[in-house]
This record gives sequence, structure tokens and C-alpha cells, in this order.
Amino acid sequence: MHLTIVRNLYKQMIYDLKAFLLNIQEFFLFSVRAFVTFPKVRTYWRDVLDQMTICGTDSIPIVLVSSISIGALLAIEVGNLLEDFGAKTMLGRSTSISVLRELGPLLMGLMLSARFGSRNGAELGAMKISEQIDALRAFGTDPVAKLVMPRLVAALIMFFPLTALSDYAGLHSAAYLAEHYHKLDPGIFWNSVYPRLLPKDFVVGFLKAPVFAIIITLVSSFNGFSARGGTAGVGRSTIKGIVVSSGLVLVANFYVSKIVLENM
Amino acid sequence: MIELKNVCLSYGDKLILKNVSLKVQDNTIKAILGPSGVGKSTILKLMLGLIKPDCGKVFVDGQDITNLKETELYDIRRKMGMVFQGNALFDSLTISQNIGFFLRENLKLPEDQVRKKVQEQINFAGLEGYEDQLPESLSGGMRKRVAIGRAMVFNPRMILFDEPTAGLDPVSSKKILSLISSLRHTSNLGAVIVTHIIDDVFNVADCVAVLYQGEIIFDDVTEKLHDAQHPFIRSILSDKILEL
Repeated sequence: MHLTIVRNLYKQMIYDLKAFLLNIQEFFLFSVRAFVTFPKVRTYWRDVLDQMTICGTDSIPIVLVSSISIGALLAIEVGNLLEDFGAKTMLGRSTSISVLRELGPLLMGLMLSARFGSRNGAELGAMKISEQIDALRAFGTDPVAKLVMPRLVAALIMFFPLTALSDYAGLHSAAYLAEHYHKLDPGIFWNSVYPRLLPKDFVVGFLKAPVFAIIITLVSSFNGFSARGGTAGVGRSTIKGIVVSSGLVLVANFYVSKIVLENM
Repeated sequence: MIELKNVCLSYGDKLILKNVSLKVQDNTIKAILGPSGVGKSTILKLMLGLIKPDCGKVFVDGQDITNLKETELYDIRRKMGMVFQGNALFDSLTISQNIGFFLRENLKLPEDQVRKKVQEQINFAGLEGYEDQLPESLSGGMRKRVAIGRAMVFNPRMILFDEPTAGLDPVSSKKILSLISSLRHTSNLGAVIVTHIIDDVFNVADCVAVLYQGEIIFDDVTEKLHDAQHPFIRSILSDKILEL
């Protein structure tokens, strides 16, 4: 009896491991196909423009809300902490590093994972379930070139200005709170920001934009393409896409910072 | 001509097709009849190369397409139009954009030619006045006619229909069947129709293959179906119900 249970558990574990490895392999091949279709960008430039609007222009409000909130919150919390040490004049320096290197790109990545990633997963999943992706293949159109590559190109282009916008909004909200909450002169705040910023502060922040673009687009699109099992299946694949891409964004955020800061 | 030779296919542990062999000649309408979930739609996908068999071979015009790469299959697929069971219309495109999709996307025809061909299909399918509507605003029968127009617009030699009348009211079903019948007369097209409705077979098909428990149990001209002795065929002829 116990032996049978253990044997069944072992079989299930092996089955799950195989399924996981197969999934990784399929994701890898899917990603390669998405990059290989880049030369078709001229054919699908309209789709690229559409996706640039969706992931770029339409995402501005959510990026602004998150970056302004985190900039303001940082200014208040870090300002209170620095005040205890009599180092409030360093508020600009500490908030700018946090925003430019870490929180600006990270929050933007998480917000876009939720917004752009969920849209990709749901839209492509619904297309898969309703056989629209099969229809594309039946008509001799490569669905990865038509549906995934434009999303990837659009994200690679638009995540840079969104990162810049996120940094700008976060820093200025921090400056506003520094002046009005901590009564810190704006000159003192900005003087501790600009002269002390190093190229690596920008490199580490802006290098995350393309990394997040690739992770969010490919993971959410892959999960959309893998949807099965009706509308509930679309829901499952969308959730999986958001959870996995958000997790990978957090992991990638750590490693990009670590690698760049150790080597610059 | 499309031919399946000793094809077998499983989904997971479930064996769907067992040594299925089937021929579809040009300029004929062949029906594949069988209960739901028996693998009829799978046969259409095998013919298009959308899925690959576990064993056996698929030939299109004598060419073995079983192991062709996706890019190599595009030329093969351009010989066939497919009408999916749920129509698979691109829901973000209008009716005329759906019908003209292949012409713009793959054939890169000039816009005036695309418009002309799209209009021909819209007239053929009786969809005048609906050109700029989205698929969601049409009835089931109209959507099916759009799907047929989309499959026909690039003049394929064969059209594959997956349950063309499933879920339609009797009037719409009749319209769709007469549209399919007229294909051969007006366009000299061949067709494969997958269905579980036996009346559809007698209405439009020249020949029929019956798929039962993953095997072809009958494959001949439609008239001979009445003479078949297989118990399953006798039961469907008497009951006309295939939900077994």
C-alpha cells in the first residue's frame, strides 16, 4: 500500500519534471523563432506601430502613477531616516540612485508585466482557443512573425522612453516631497543628484529595459500560444504568464544590477 | 489529390487514429462522417500539415508532406482553403479585411485587385452591406459564409470544411450546403467535409468515409452507404444520430 503510494508519487514527479523540461525546450525554440523573424519587421511595420501604441503610449498613465508614488514614498521614508543622522542633504543622492538604478525600471517592469503581459496572454490565448492562430498557419502566415515579433520589437523600442519617463517622474515627485514635506531647498536636493550621478547609474537602469521587454513579451506570448481548455484555459495561461514574467523580472533586476555594478 | 497512408495519431495516452488510409480526388466532394471527438477534425489538420502524425504518411499531389518544415508547408497550404468549425475569423478585422487577408498578407496583390476579389466573394456569399462590420456583429450563418469566402478568395483547388453546419439553424444550414454544392459548379473546386450530420453527407457529398473508433470502416461513393453492413453504419442510417 505505502509502496504503491511512493511509486505513484515518484512516477508523478518524473512526469512533472519531464513536462517542465519539455516546456523549457518549447519556450527556448519559441524565443529563437521570435528573434529569427526580426527581418520581417518591414512586412509587419503596421503591427509594430499598433503594439508600440499599446505597450508604450497607452502604458504612460500606469507608469506615471507607480513611479510618482514610489518617488514620493522614498523621499518621505529616506528623508526621515537621514534626518536622524543629520544627513538630510543627501536625500537627492539616495533617492536618485534608488529610482534610477532599481525602483524606476523595476516598477515599470512589474506594471508592464501586469498590463502588457496580461493583454498579450489573454489576446493570444483567445486567438489560440478560437483557432485563429491555426487559421494564420493554414493561410501560410507565420503566427510568430505576425503576432509575437511585432510585440517584441515594440516593447524593445518603447521600454526605453518608458524607463526614462519613470525615472523623470520618480525623481521629480521625490524632489517635490523633499521641498514640501522635508522643507529641503530644491537647490540642495538637485545638487546632490546631478553632479554625483555616474554613467553606471544610467547603464544599470536602462539595460534593464530591453531585458524586461524580452522577458515580458516572450513569456506572456508563449503562454498565450500554449493556451488550451476553453476560456478557463485562457485565464490559466494569462495568470501563468504574469506570474512567471513578474518573477523573472525580479530575478533579472537583481542580476543586471549585480553584473553591471561589479563590472563598471 | 490528398492521401493519408496508414496514419496513426495519439493525444497523450489516447489513440485517436489507427492506421487511417484515405484518398481525396480533385474535383470531388468527400465527406468524413463520424461521431464527435473521434478525430475527424484531426484528419483535416493532418491534411494541412498543422499537426504531424505519429506514424504513416500524408501526400498532397503526390508530394510527401509528413516531415516538411513549417516554411516548406506554406506552398502546400496555398492549394487548400480551410473553413474552421468555429470559423476562426480574425475578430479585430472587418469582414472585407478578413476575406482579403490572404491576398494582402501573402500574395501581396495590388489593392484594387484585392478589393475586386473580395467583392466577388462578398457577392457570392450574399454579404453585401456587411463589408465593414466586425465578425462579432454577424449571425452564425453569416460568419460561416465569411469563412467560406475567406477560404475561397485565393482560388485554392480544395476546400476543407470542419463541421460546416454545426450549431446553425436549419435555414442557415441549407444556405451553407447549397453554397458548398455550388462551389464545384462555379469554381470547379474539390472539398473535404467533416461532419457528424448524415443528412449533410447525402446532400452534398460524392463519396464518404466513415470514421469509427479511430478507424475508417467505410470509404466509397455516397450511394453505397445504404448497402453497408457495419452495425455502426446501420445504426446511424436508422437513427441519424452520431452521438454514441
